[in-house]
Amino acid sequence: MSQTLTSLLEVSIDFDQSHLFFPKLVVTLLAGMLLLIAVIHRARLVEIVRTRGAGLAFFEENADKFRLFSTVGLIVIYFVSMDYVGQLFPNTGLGFLFCSIAFIAALSLVYVHEVTRSVLLVIACNALIAPLAVWYVLGSLFDITLP
Amino acid sequence: MDFISLLSPEYFLLAAAGSLVGIIFGAIPGMTATMAVAVCLPLTYSLGLHEGLALLLGLYVGGISGGLVPAILLNIPGTPSSITTTFDGHPMAQRGEAERALKICIVSSLVGGLFSAVILFLFAPLLSDFAIKFSYVEKFLIIFFALTVIASLSSNMLVGIFSGMIGVFLSLIGTYDVGVGGNGEYRLMADFMVPYLEEGFSLLPVLIGLFGLATIFLEAERGAKDEVGEKRIQLTQGTPFKLNVFRGQFVNMLRSSSIGTFVGMLPGIGGSAASVLAYSQQKNFSKDPSKMGKGAPEGLIASESANNALTGGALIPLLSLGIPGDSTTAVLIGAFTLQGLQVGPLFIGENLDTWYSMMIGLVFANLVMFGIMFFAIKHIAKVVMVPKYVLYPIIIMMCVVGAYAINYGIMFDVWTLLIFGLFGYVAQKIGLEIAPLVIGFILGSSAEVYFVKSLESFGTLSIFFTKSPIAIVLWLMIAASVLFSVYLALKARRNSKSRAIEV
Repeated sequence: MSQTLTSLLEVSIDFDQSHLFFPKLVVTLLAGMLLLIAVIHRARLVEIVRTRGAGLAFFEENADKFRLFSTVGLIVIYFVSMDYVGQLFPNTGLGFLFCSIAFIAALSLVYVHEVTRSVLLVIACNALIAPLAVWYVLGSLFDITLP
Repeated sequence: MDFISLLSPEYFLLAAAGSLVGIIFGAIPGMTATMAVAVCLPLTYSLGLHEGLALLLGLYVGGISGGLVPAILLNIPGTPSSITTTFDGHPMAQRGEAERALKICIVSSLVGGLFSAVILFLFAPLLSDFAIKFSYVEKFLIIFFALTVIASLSSNMLVGIFSGMIGVFLSLIGTYDVGVGGNGEYRLMADFMVPYLEEGFSLLPVLIGLFGLATIFLEAERGAKDEVGEKRIQLTQGTPFKLNVFRGQFVNMLRSSSIGTFVGMLPGIGGSAASVLAYSQQKNFSKDPSKMGKGAPEGLIASESANNALTGGALIPLLSLGIPGDSTTAVLIGAFTLQGLQVGPLFIGENLDTWYSMMIGLVFANLVMFGIMFFAIKHIAKVVMVPKYVLYPIIIMMCVVGAYAINYGIMFDVWTLLIFGLFGYVAQKIGLEIAPLVIGFILGSSAEVYFVKSLESFGTLSIFFTKSPIAIVLWLMIAASVLFSVYLALKARRNSKSRAIEV
């Protein structure tokens, strides 16, 4: 009896395949847990399927989708253009500087609720000063690599 | 005593600056201490180890403390850990005792912070001396224990451990590194990803994405509105602050600080658990529990001494075992890696100077936090009003600097930032828990090495039970944490049932 028990616990790992041993275990555990969660909350799952997901809301009530998707979109544009402009002026950090100025100005305009002349002035100053300060202090004084 | 020569004026200046910036971050609702540390990490790239750590410790202490300001003035917790401060703080502010409430909280924060620093100083070296004897088997069990603790204290045990496992899974993407005894093969990715993900995802962009960008996305969805208080609050009317408010509160302070330190030591449990636990304990022991929640100083004392005691507590497992106690210390791990240092059982013994200078930095940051908040509280209170349209774009820019510079200019790290920013946003939407996920991500690859190597050398699973007495003790602790969570779940179920009957 005890003999079979110890042999059950025996594991041998082929070195060539050892990179897959732990990931396989983790994936199995993840799948098992997902199944367990599904079984425990089966009542809710049935409910969701029955109502075709009517009770599910990914976004909050009154979600500001304009600001959310603008943020994501602007970030993507920011990253792509930063890489592109950065290659035009290699190792100067200018790609970062120029794109950050545009990005901060654009995102501030997306987030601001009441546009007045003084608010615009604050946004413009912020968009110019913040990237310049970071570019100068971090890029030039501290020698940190910038795109 | 060589470390004294390491403490330059610059060192103290950075710790002070860290506290100040941290307080500001903490005071702005939606920004947390974790975010402060993540966003300011790039500043440490070119600083020395000691100066960098001084800055980060200042940010940590300041960030946790700053949350009390909007909690009292606006009834909005600035950080999750000051949630219980709103219970008594805001009623006091409405009575015109805002300054009194703020000062009670500041003193309690100082006591909690210093208490936990002392515990850290005494306890971390002991724990690491003990942990040095650990072999791969015990190291794996420690990580396993950490994951069960996270699971047992998260709001839903199964989801907590599921999130942790997703973190482990993400950490395995890349090469099974030859340097730790792997075979150098790729796994969990398609061929086209190999050039980018050869080394897996870099830790810091992942952390900055999860804690920085994801928060911005959540806030953007809410419209990035500025917080508006119900009405203008008068700082000083009514009862002025006097130290005698602490008379008879010694036991409360000690208990709350101990709870905070202990909760901090448990991996993956945030500050909100510490303050909620301390607050409810104080309610149990209070002479007049009916006053709590209506502006009782004892509630403030419990809440704030507990959440500041978290700081020292969370550093204990980080420095002695290499396991972060909360999400902020998880980001601190990144700072250590940046400086080429590995935290773990050997850390304190081999880096005594760093250890002493960290302790001094921690105590100093607490004192500066106290000084700034106690004497300049009126000005700090105004910081809450910085418009978000100014702040958020700057934060995103800082996130980019941090991600790009970490490996000296790799654009993929910046994309990692966005990937994990979106992932963190979606994960929080569908109910996954970020703290266990991050801890799983940090510990995942070590867990693999410890587990696979133990099995390769012993060839049987039974070794995890029979290796040493320590292994058995660890299994008992694992069992205890699982039993505790089952007990909690049953209690919660019974409570909700009895409430249903009452209704």
